[in-house]
Amino acid sequence: MDAEAAELLARSLERAFRNETVKAVEASLEEIGWREALAEEGTAVVPLLFARQGAAIAASGALDDLLVSALGFPADPGTAFVLPEFGSYAAPGSMEEGGLAVRGLGSVRMAAASRAVVLTGRDGGLRASVVETGRFEARPVRGVDPRLGLVMVEGEGIAASGVEIAPATWEDALAAGRLAVAHELIGVSRTMLRLAREHAVTRVQFGRPIGAFQAVRHRLAECLVAIESAEAAAGAVLGPDGGADPVAAGMAKAFAGRGARTVARHCQQVLAGVGFTEEHGFHHCFRRVLTLDGLLGDAKTLTRELGEQVLRDRRLPEMRLL
Amino acid sequence: MDLQEFRAGLDAWLAGHEPELRAESGPGAGLDEEMRHLSKVKRMAYDAGWMRWGWPERVGGFGGTTLMRAYLGEALAARDLIEPGIYSMTEVLAPTMIEYARPELAAETVPRLLRGDETWCQGFSEPGTGSNLGSLACRARRDGGVWRVTGQKVWTSLAQYAHRCVLLTRTGTPESGSRGITAMLADMDAPGITVRPIRAMHGRDEFCEVFFDDVRVPVDRTLGEVDGGWGVAMDLLPYERSTSLWHRGAYLRQRLGHLLATAPDGAFDPAELGEAVQAAFAFHARSRETQHRMARGERLGPETSVDKVLLATTEQAVYDLVAGAVPADIALGDGADGDRWRTEFLYSRAATIYGGSAEIQRDIIARRLLGLEGGR
Repeated sequence: MDAEAAELLARSLERAFRNETVKAVEASLEEIGWREALAEEGTAVVPLLFARQGAAIAASGALDDLLVSALGFPADPGTAFVLPEFGSYAAPGSMEEGGLAVRGLGSVRMAAASRAVVLTGRDGGLRASVVETGRFEARPVRGVDPRLGLVMVEGEGIAASGVEIAPATWEDALAAGRLAVAHELIGVSRTMLRLAREHAVTRVQFGRPIGAFQAVRHRLAECLVAIESAEAAAGAVLGPDGGADPVAAGMAKAFAGRGARTVARHCQQVLAGVGFTEEHGFHHCFRRVLTLDGLLGDAKTLTRELGEQVLRDRRLPEMRLL
Repeated sequence: MDLQEFRAGLDAWLAGHEPELRAESGPGAGLDEEMRHLSKVKRMAYDAGWMRWGWPERVGGFGGTTLMRAYLGEALAARDLIEPGIYSMTEVLAPTMIEYARPELAAETVPRLLRGDETWCQGFSEPGTGSNLGSLACRARRDGGVWRVTGQKVWTSLAQYAHRCVLLTRTGTPESGSRGITAMLADMDAPGITVRPIRAMHGRDEFCEVFFDDVRVPVDRTLGEVDGGWGVAMDLLPYERSTSLWHRGAYLRQRLGHLLATAPDGAFDPAELGEAVQAAFAFHARSRETQHRMARGERLGPETSVDKVLLATTEQAVYDLVAGAVPADIALGDGADGDRWRTEFLYSRAATIYGGSAEIQRDIIARRLLGLEGGR
């Protein structure tokens, strides 16, 4: 996609995420042709969409589309994806004697979807099945971020055979998903910094905007460093072939997750009392950070596992050539 | 030549000449020896042509993308053939000369710097002028065809070895601030210059005090406009935070790789290691983008302060990891490995201080990138 087309798509996406309801967001994405863009351009369009979804603190089934299509199934508004349990990235399903058992999370798409793709893992082999959503229980999660519309998925004894998924296919899907969530976290972080910056230039104390005080300035500078570094890291995930590098995607997501918490901590302190109220928008951002970090492997898990892998290899992961 | 050809050719050349390029006494043999070795490496790389790619032809270069310069330093640092702190001074000072010196002066002097025939230093900070560079007081008075310079510089790296100095002087009134500063290229063997090295806490004469007592600098050595030195300095500083940092990042990865290969089992906390690796990855990505922006001819500016903060944070995270993995080497080790880890660990503490402190970088980010006015 050339720069002009990307800019055009980005602006359409920005408008789409301004819609109030999830239904309207999903309809706008349909109208823009997000799934077609994904099919044609591949992972390259992921940063465009998810950064804006994050910045708008919006929710959609875009992650479902991404993962469903990455596993080779047709993506459409009626198809959801069962995400791994919070914090984890293990396949949410398993093939038991009595049929398929599943325990995972669903996005905001799940309520309206008629079917869901369930990844199952047993004995090292992976399979993916399309299951009717009526066959399992999908219970709305309240939790810290009700607006995200997550549901808890649970069921067993579901008749399903599924198709075999090569480990590398799931690895690539996971990488694309992590890249998406990394960009979403960066988008949320940018919104937090925008809110804190606006406050810093308008809130006057001791006769000056508080943005003139070094303690405040340095916190906000630290936020921009965290955001720009996370963005650079996420930018290094897509290889020249357009695919997401799995190791890099894990690093970028963990880095973005940790960075978003740093940004949240500093911005909340700068926003002080007003940022602690429900009237101010900050809390929506903070809630979103806490939740997004837990999707497809949280920062803590990914960071520890990266360290363990590096210790096994006794060398650093490959980094892109200049 | 494009970057790919350059990379392949340079890699082959380095493989063929590695024994000659490796310091005989090994790294950490002391600064005198390291400086001698650096000159040798630069001379060999220049004579073989590698050091000339990425520099304009009018200063002895072969032209081509600046990415070749970035890769040369990276390749040397990754093989542990140079220490980037002393190597990358060229990346800071040569671009300034190319942009601001008279063309004849640049053509005459820059090749000597590239070839390792000369060492240069950067006379910016003063005893009363650290973060607040605009307050400098080292005075230059015009007297016919010369500037007569009197004053003092400090924290001047490599001044004890330097043949020339890119010097900032006060040519306006004492109150003129950033408007009354003029940059010039001084010869370090000029009468009236006294250099006193300062021993730093990691055991090296890392920097010097430089005293100027009525030193004569020809007026045709002026860099940029008279009273326009602030602009020269502001253009120089982003270079200090671009290719030099790319080289330093390569060196850090090499040292972290060495630690991983040699540290005993159980020496690392996986979570701490994972964080340091992620930071190194993020810095690599950020600095790589900066190198590509520079290669496209974009003007580097305050956004390079992000690179600097990120590198300093990464460098300290890496050496904190070292200190945790081989604590006895750092505290007690008297072998070559222990000496080197200790020296580097102690030096890493300065990463948030030199080249504009972390506080000044954050102030630049707040003011120039976030548009927060006032304050400091």
